[in-house]
Amino acid sequence: MSQITADATAMRDREAARRRRRTAIRRYTGHPGFMIGAVIIALMAIIAIGAPWIAPNSPLATDLANTLAPPSWQFPLGTDQFGRCVLSRLIYGAQISLQVGFWVVLISLTFGTLIGALAGFIGGWLERIIVALIDIMLAFPGFLLALALVAAQGSSLTSVITAVAIAYTPRVATVMRSVVLTIRPRPFIEASHAIGLSSLRILIRHVIPNALPPVIVVATVSAATAILAEAGLSFLGLGVQPPTATWGSVIAEGQAIITTRPLISLSAGICIAIAVIGLNLLGDGLRDTLDPQMRRQTGGKML
Amino acid sequence: MAGYLGRTFVQLIATLVGIVTVVFFLMRAIPGDPALYMLGDFATETAIVALRERLGLDLPVYQQYFLFMERAVTGDLGRSVVTGQPALTEIISALPWSLSLAVGGLSVAVLVGVPLGILSAIKHGTWIDTAIMLVALIGISFPVFWVGLVAILFLSYHGGIFPALGAAVGGGFWTQIHHLILPALVLGLSVAAYIARLTRSAMLEVLGQDYVRVARAMGVPERRINFRFALRNAFIPILAVIGVTFAWALGNAILVEVVFSRPGLGSTILKAILARDYQLVQAGVLVLATGVVLINATLNVLYGVIDPRMRTGE
Amino acid sequence: MLQSKEFIGDGSKVDDAHSAGRPALELRNLVTRFPGDDGAFNIVDGVSLSVLPGETLAVVGESGSGKTMTFLSAIGLVPRPGKVVEGEILLDGTDLLMLSEEDMRAVRGTRLSMVFQDPLTGLNPVFTIGDQIAGVLHAHRKLSRTEAREIAIGLLEKVHIPDPHRRIDDYPHQLSGGMRQRVLIAMAISLEPQVLIADEPTTALDVTVQAQVLELLAELREQSGMAIVLITHDLGLVARYADRVAVMYAGRVAETGDAEAIFERTAHPYTVSLFRSVPSLETDTASDLLEIEGQPPDPAALPAGCAFEPRCYLGHGRQDCQATRPALRAVGESSHRAACLHSSEVITEGTVE
Repeated sequence: MSQITADATAMRDREAARRRRRTAIRRYTGHPGFMIGAVIIALMAIIAIGAPWIAPNSPLATDLANTLAPPSWQFPLGTDQFGRCVLSRLIYGAQISLQVGFWVVLISLTFGTLIGALAGFIGGWLERIIVALIDIMLAFPGFLLALALVAAQGSSLTSVITAVAIAYTPRVATVMRSVVLTIRPRPFIEASHAIGLSSLRILIRHVIPNALPPVIVVATVSAATAILAEAGLSFLGLGVQPPTATWGSVIAEGQAIITTRPLISLSAGICIAIAVIGLNLLGDGLRDTLDPQMRRQTGGKML
Repeated sequence: MAGYLGRTFVQLIATLVGIVTVVFFLMRAIPGDPALYMLGDFATETAIVALRERLGLDLPVYQQYFLFMERAVTGDLGRSVVTGQPALTEIISALPWSLSLAVGGLSVAVLVGVPLGILSAIKHGTWIDTAIMLVALIGISFPVFWVGLVAILFLSYHGGIFPALGAAVGGGFWTQIHHLILPALVLGLSVAAYIARLTRSAMLEVLGQDYVRVARAMGVPERRINFRFALRNAFIPILAVIGVTFAWALGNAILVEVVFSRPGLGSTILKAILARDYQLVQAGVLVLATGVVLINATLNVLYGVIDPRMRTGE
Repeated sequence: MLQSKEFIGDGSKVDDAHSAGRPALELRNLVTRFPGDDGAFNIVDGVSLSVLPGETLAVVGESGSGKTMTFLSAIGLVPRPGKVVEGEILLDGTDLLMLSEEDMRAVRGTRLSMVFQDPLTGLNPVFTIGDQIAGVLHAHRKLSRTEAREIAIGLLEKVHIPDPHRRIDDYPHQLSGGMRQRVLIAMAISLEPQVLIADEPTTALDVTVQAQVLELLAELREQSGMAIVLITHDLGLVARYADRVAVMYAGRVAETGDAEAIFERTAHPYTVSLFRSVPSLETDTASDLLEIEGQPPDPAALPAGCAFEPRCYLGHGRQDCQATRPALRAVGESSHRAACLHSSEVITEGTVE
C-alpha cells in the first residue's frame, strides 16, 4: 500500500471514528425517553442531597396544634395527623428511596455480575450448581423473600437494602450468565486463552467489560424495582422505622385519613411513580442506545 | 415427549428439594435463638426449652435439616404458635382466597397485557405503539398498594361501585365475586403492564426473524403472519413472561390483600411475621414458592407441546 | 402517475437492448432511500436492470453493495425506515410501485418470489414443512386441506426431497440444511412465479450441496421458463449458471452485460478486482469472502466522484475519477455497459489470467 493510500485510509478511519462518536452521543441526546429519565433522576438526586436546604420545614417536627392543616404557604402540601409538613417529609423521603435504589443496584450488580460471569465463563459443574441455585431463588417471589429477610433481620435501612439486594441478585446473575455465554465463543476470548492469559484475568479484563451493557440495563430497571419494594415494605410497616420519612410510610400514614386528606397519600404515590418512571425510561433508553443486539439478550428477563 | 416430561419432572423434584432447603436455612438465618424469638423476651425458661425440643432445635443442624425435610414431605410444617393449629391447615384455609385473587388478577393481566403487547409490536413505531407503551410504563411505575388505595378512594368511597374492604367471607358467591373484582383489577392491571411490555419485545423479536420475511416474500397476508404464524412462535416467550410474572404477581398480591383487608396467603404470612409466628411463616413461604415452581413446570410442559425442538431436547 | 395499469405494460417501453422479448422483470432507475443521522442517503442509487423469461441474471458484488436491497425493493420488502423513492419496477410490464399493498401481496409468491440466504432460519421451527408450504398455497388459492397437502407433496417431489409423503410432516429441525433450502425453494415456486429471486441461496451450505441446489434451480428454470435473479458474491457460480451479469458497487450498477462479455472483455476495474480476489482451489473455500483492499464505502458518505476511486488500482488519485461520477454507458456490443471513465483502458489491459 502506498504512503498516500495509507494516509488517506488513516484519515478516513479517523473521520469514521469521529462520526461514530458523534452519532453515539446523538443517540442518547436524541432519545427523548433517555433524556427525560436522566433529567428526572438527576433532579431527584439533587432534591435528596439538598433536602436540608430545599425542604421548607423539618420532616420530623410535630405540631399537635396544627394537625391535618390544608395546604398553605408555610406547608405547601399541608400537615399530617402529627402536624408534620408533608412536603418536607416527601423531600426527605427521596433520600431513603434513592439510597435503597443506589445500594441495591450496587450490591446486586456486583454480586450478580460476579456469580453470573463465573457460572457462564467457567461452565461445567460449577455452572450447573449456580444455575440450579438461581432457579431455586427465583421460585421465591422477590418481594416475599425481601419481606421474610427483613422480618428475620429487624427493620433498618441496612436490613431493607440487604434484603432487597439478596432478593434481586439472582435476576442480575441470570442475565449476566446468558450474556457471558454469548461472549465466551467470540474470537478475542479464544485469542486471549491462546496467548496464555489466566482465566481470571480474561474474565475481569475482557469478559465482564464486554458483558456489562445489558447488565447495566437490568441494574437500572432493578433500581426501579428496589424502590417499589422498599415502598411496599415501608407501607407494611416493615421498612425503615418511624419517625423517619419514607414515601411508603407517608402513604401508610395517609391511608387512615385518605377520605378527608387524600392529598397526603396521593402525592407520596406520585413521588414514587415519578422516580420509578425516571429509572425505567433511563433503562429503556440505555437498552435502545447501548447496543442493538443486546435487546435480544435482556428481553424477558427484566423482572 | 415422554423423555421430555421425565426431565421436567426430575427438575421439578430437585427444585422443590432446593426450596425446602432454602426455607430451612432462611429461618436459621434469624440471629439468636428462634425459640426465644418466637416466644418473646418474657418467655419462661421451661417454655423455651419445651419449644426448642418440639422444634428439634436441640439436635445438630444436619439432623434438624433431615427432620425438617422428612416432615415437609409428609405435610407436617409445624404449628402456628398463635392459634395452635397445624401451620399447613392455616395456610390451606387461606389458600382459596389467594387463589381466587391470583386467578382473577392473572386473567385480567393476560387478557389485557398479551393483546396490548401484540398490538404494540404489530404497530411498531406508530402512535398506537407509543401510546400503549406509555400507559404500560405508567402502569409498572405506580406502587400496586397505592393504586389499590386510589381505586378504593374513587371507586368505592366516592363512586360506591365496589365494596371497599374484605372478601365477604361467608357471603354468597356473587357477593364474593363483587368483592373480588376491584382487587383483581388492581393486581391484574399492574401485572398487565409488565406483560404488555415483555410480550411486545417477544413478539418484535419473532417478527424480525428470517422466516417471517420469507412468509412475506411468499405473499402470506400480514394478518395471517401476525396471528397464525408468528404468534405461535411468540407463545413460548409469552408463556415464559407469564411464568416470570407469576412469582412477581404473588409478591404484589400480598400488598393487594393488605390494602383490601382480604384474607389470604399474603396477609396470613404478614400477620405471622408481625406475630413472630415462625413456623407459619415457613409454611406460607414454602407453599407460595411451591406454587411458583408448579406453575413453571406446567409451562415447561406447554413449551414442549408448542415447540417440537424442545421435545427432542435440541 | 395517473396512467392506468393496462398502458404501463406497453411493449415499446422495453429497453431496446432486449428487443427480443419483454423482460420478465425490469428495474428502471430505482432509488431506495434511508434516513440517516447526517441526512438521508440512497442505499440503491438509480439501478436499472432487466431479466428475460427463462434467463438467469447474476447480481454480483461485495456485501453492502446494495444488491440485496435492490431486490428487496423489487419485491416490496425494504426494511423500515427505508423507502423506494424513485423509479419503476416492471414485472411483465406492470409497475409494481403503482400497486396497492394488497395487490402487491398478491403478486409476491405468485408472480415474483424470493429465496433467502440462510435456510436454517428461513423456516418456522414450530410448524411442519407441509404446513408451511400449505400456508403459502392457502395465501393465494382457495384449496381444501387435502388438496394443499397433495400439491405440497408434489412440490417436495419436484425439488427432489426423498420420501415426500413422510417428510411433509417433519419439522424443519429434522431436515439438513440443503433439504431446508429445497423446501424453501419449493415454497417459492409453489405458485409458478415468473421471476424467482435467489439471494445467496447456497452461501450457508456445503460445497457439494451448493451444486445440487443450483442444479435444481437450473432444472426448474428449464421446466417452467421462469427468470432467475441469482444474487451472489461467488464468481465461480456466475460463470457456470448465469446468462447475464450485473456487477454492483455502492448502490449502483458498475458493469452489466452478457456473462461471456463480462468474463472476456471486463470493462470495470471493480469487476477486475472481483475476479482477482476469487479464491483459488488451494485456499479455504469455506470462508471465500471477497478481499479487495480497503473497505466498501459508507453509503451515507459517498465520495463526490466515482465511488470506487479510493480503492481503484487504475483510477486512484486521478483527478477526473475524483471529480465525476461515471454514468453507465455502452462498451463494445450493445448490452455490455460499464460505469467507468476509463473502461477502454480496462478492456485493452486484458484481465482474467
